[in-house]
Amino acid sequence: MAYEQVRVKTPLILRLLPILSIVLFFGVWQLVMDWGMVPSEMLASPIQVFQLFLVKWTEVNPDGALLSQHIWTSIQEVFTGYLLALLVGIPLGLAMGWFVVVEGLSRPIFEMIRPIPPVAWIPLTIFWFGIGISGKVFIIWIAGIVPCVINSYVGVRMTNPTLIQMARTYGATDWQIFKQLCIPSALPMVFGALQIALAYCWTNLVAAELLAADTGLGFLITMGRKLALPDMVLLGMIMLGLTGAVIGVVIDYFEKKLLAGIRR
Amino acid sequence: MILKNRWFLYGVSMLAFFLVWDRLAVTRDFLPRPYEVVLQLWRMIFDPLAGKSLLGHVWASTQRILIGFTIASLVAVPLGLMMALNRYVNAIVKPLFDLLKPMPPLAWISIAILWFGIGETSKVFIIVIGTFVPCLLNAYNGVRLVEPELYDVIRILGGNRRHEIIQVCFPAAFPAIFAGLQISLSIAWTCVLAAELVSARSGLGFIIIRGMNLSRPAMVVGGMVVIALVAWGTTLLVSGLEKLVCPWKREIEGL
Repeated sequence: MAYEQVRVKTPLILRLLPILSIVLFFGVWQLVMDWGMVPSEMLASPIQVFQLFLVKWTEVNPDGALLSQHIWTSIQEVFTGYLLALLVGIPLGLAMGWFVVVEGLSRPIFEMIRPIPPVAWIPLTIFWFGIGISGKVFIIWIAGIVPCVINSYVGVRMTNPTLIQMARTYGATDWQIFKQLCIPSALPMVFGALQIALAYCWTNLVAAELLAADTGLGFLITMGRKLALPDMVLLGMIMLGLTGAVIGVVIDYFEKKLLAGIRR
Repeated sequence: MILKNRWFLYGVSMLAFFLVWDRLAVTRDFLPRPYEVVLQLWRMIFDPLAGKSLLGHVWASTQRILIGFTIASLVAVPLGLMMALNRYVNAIVKPLFDLLKPMPPLAWISIAILWFGIGETSKVFIIVIGTFVPCLLNAYNGVRLVEPELYDVIRILGGNRRHEIIQVCFPAAFPAIFAGLQISLSIAWTCVLAAELVSARSGLGFIIIRGMNLSRPAMVVGGMVVIALVAWGTTLLVSGLEKLVCPWKREIEGL
């Protein structure tokens, strides 16, 4: 190694402050509940939430399913919608970026549908698909497809024009340029879309489960509200955040592996 | 060649879209024909629904978004800037923020209703929560990703820390901040609609849920059309503001 690793020492206080801040947050939360400053029908203490978390692995009541079942249903719904969004959105976006005909035909429709938040599709979805899994997948699909299309489109558009001209000079066909130049150069943007689309899908999962469901983390939250059990609401929220974060880390790992050779 | 003409293709695409929609609507239930949607919207402008005309509902939703969005951006953007500029603030706030960040904003709806009831406060609260994250993240990253060379330049020119912050940091972070505001805005629409779907007596979300409960697809699709128009309008407004406030931003061609 030509360079020596430079170690910048962080002062002790800067390393302690984050821990302190977290501890203080939970401490104050617990104390506020213990002292009864906030009525217990509005908020549950962290210890109560943790107890419920332990109990929910084996206890079906009062919402009718185990925690693992809720998580599994949510993951199934999100992944089906997410994968379908990737399968449709990325090729469409790539093609829109390069082929004028595809862009001209799909752009206006895409632009019309894009500003509608996926949540607004819920009533129509319930008319069309009923309240089964297909309706939820549809909403998640709508949520995920927008960033996929936009990122792939922009990725192709940002291909270095000099390279395209060079390929033309050497007599490459449109299809060859698309396949060998545009797609590889768009890959980093496409992979960026994976994370964004996942976050959108995960957010809209809650919306999809809000109105009609019988299992799922969003349903757990809604049930908690209807039964006025704040610990259940909080447990649902925390599990949603946790599961989302774990999936995000997994996708990030694969992204790094797959993109190992490509300069960002 | 006519096939390469973009505007011709756009026209064909729109025409095909509406024709297919119309054909489908004739054979299927629960899909209104396009002209029915227009008729329904026209009717709603004059006949009040639940005490408000269409414009009243549009304003109800927009008002909620404006209040929530303003509160969130006034708190989150300065906080994000402070976090990026001062490592003590960063050490205190970042862990809490990382803890709350992965929770989808819509998950807060239930707790908001437990806390604030089903009135306006809970809706504004959800919008604040939803828009807070991207505002803060973008302000934070905007400052952190400023090119270090720019700092060197201002230091060579004899600037102190204050000059660094005011002359370099803020202008360089503006485009990122505005990008955050744009993202926030679309999230705000999602939040307000979800909140209105759960419980409301006014707003665009109320229109579509009422249409669903009355089994009137024309009302649902009409509501969606209005949402699309208004959301698109607010997006244009923010990008217009951006051009006004920071004309130095570099644009990506196309979208």
